[in-house]
Amino acid sequence: MLRSLLLALLRFLVLILVAGLAGATLVRIAPGFSSDEQELNPGLSSESIQAIRQARLADSNVPRFYLHYLYGLLHGDLGKSQSLNLPIRELLRDRLPVSLRNLAVALLLAWSVGLALSVGVFRLRSGWFAVVADAGGGTLISTPAAVLALFFLIMRWPPVVAVGLLVFPKIYRYSRNLIQDCLELPHVVVARAKGVGPWRLLSWHVVPVAVPQLVALVGVSISLGLGALLPVEVFCDLPGIGQLAWTAAQARDLPLLVNLTLVVSCLTIGAIMCCDQLRRFAGREAA
Amino acid sequence: MKIVHKAAIAVLLCAVFSCVFARNIAPAGYEQQFRDEAQAGPSIHHPLGTDDLGRDRLARLVYGMRVSLFLAPVAALLSTFLAAAVGGIAGLCGGWVERSVMAATDLFLALPWLFLLITVRAVLPLNLSPASSVLITFALLGFLGWAPAARVICAGAKQVLQSDFVWAARARGCGGLRLVRTHILPSLRPALAAQFFLSIPVFIIAEANLGALGLGVAEPLPSLGGLVSELQDLVMLRPEPWRLAPLVVLIVLIGSFQVLLSKQEVHA
Repeated sequence: MLRSLLLALLRFLVLILVAGLAGATLVRIAPGFSSDEQELNPGLSSESIQAIRQARLADSNVPRFYLHYLYGLLHGDLGKSQSLNLPIRELLRDRLPVSLRNLAVALLLAWSVGLALSVGVFRLRSGWFAVVADAGGGTLISTPAAVLALFFLIMRWPPVVAVGLLVFPKIYRYSRNLIQDCLELPHVVVARAKGVGPWRLLSWHVVPVAVPQLVALVGVSISLGLGALLPVEVFCDLPGIGQLAWTAAQARDLPLLVNLTLVVSCLTIGAIMCCDQLRRFAGREAA
Repeated sequence: MKIVHKAAIAVLLCAVFSCVFARNIAPAGYEQQFRDEAQAGPSIHHPLGTDDLGRDRLARLVYGMRVSLFLAPVAALLSTFLAAAVGGIAGLCGGWVERSVMAATDLFLALPWLFLLITVRAVLPLNLSPASSVLITFALLGFLGWAPAARVICAGAKQVLQSDFVWAARARGCGGLRLVRTHILPSLRPALAAQFFLSIPVFIIAEANLGALGLGVAEPLPSLGGLVSELQDLVMLRPEPWRLAPLVVLIVLIGSFQVLLSKQEVHA
């Protein structure tokens, strides 16, 4: 148990480091890295443009930049944002709680709606209910996150609901298929044949089998939620890390982008690994 | 075949038909300006009206659909090819190669895709031509979208490698590339096809998101994402509901893909 936890921790650290390096490398090798929007400003003198180019060249060596960054990270220094001219630590301290709070509320909503609908489809056995739930989920899956964010902006509805609605179809579809698969298991078929009621069937026979896989989906839903949060934060002007990533991407702010890649990697990989461990534990309990 | 599936096939066939015959449906073209009729409402000449620059909205919609519908499969082909290479190598080599490749795949899967996409797309040159922007956008989608498929292909390759016919082929001295070409690849073809078709709607949606965020295909070339980004003019939506046409088309197209691919998605 301890060995597997230590191995998981080591894997987590390696993945985080690789994610940061990959993010920095991707940004560096992209063909437009050497150009800066500020260079198009006609008000800047040739000396200022030269200074901007020099500042950008200082970050051009990715391994050196990354080693320097890691050294700073070990000393609690995350560097300074080039575009916002503020310490990245401060930016993350202000923005991360907003995103995490929104993400938590959105995921709670998505899971509640997704599970309620899939249980409803199982319990009601109404074709119309399933058609309406499928159509709703299908429409939301087919809608770009940015468009839903705009719609919520027009309607002045809470943007966090948009994030929840973007994640819910995946949870609904997965949990619905999972319940369907569980219903075909031999012990569930026997229980049904013996006349076990639907709620008892669900709570005693389906849930114990489905829980480990649903736990694994929690980790994936965090990644999905963060992906959906980005356009919603941009369009609805929510001061979270999604909006910060957007600002950093537009301004080609390498230090900020690398830090954000690391933060997002920490969140998603950490969540997925925790859920994976929980899934194994739940699987053993169920067995 | 259910009626819903028939309807989905009909919608997609209509879309492909209108893309192929775009020149006949909208002879004006997507960039011709009717300066006297800028911001006009629907009429016989312009069934969906004209935009702020006097361009026919229907023409832009049809040509935009052509860009998205024809290039998303190209991106899907690229990502499926990468997934086949990465997943196949991991599955066939096994051991530390498989562990390393799957760790990289996990990393790609864990990172929110849109986040990675805007990071890379945003650092592209500022003065891209429309043709370059459309190619780069879809090439990026292809290059960054291989991870989910690679995992499936890796699992499939491992399974095929353990099957009786592969053991028999090996016992007869068949090995290396010949084994891959004649036995393993044909067995993986259904999985590869499923991953290819599943990627198409994902890439269309991703392009739409990029377009809405202003990082998609450059003007004047239209794409569904670029047309959807015009919805940001919120004030005009209520008096001019026909502006919503690109969004409706996008939802119907993706919905049709979802209906047809729902079974494959479950099994993938």
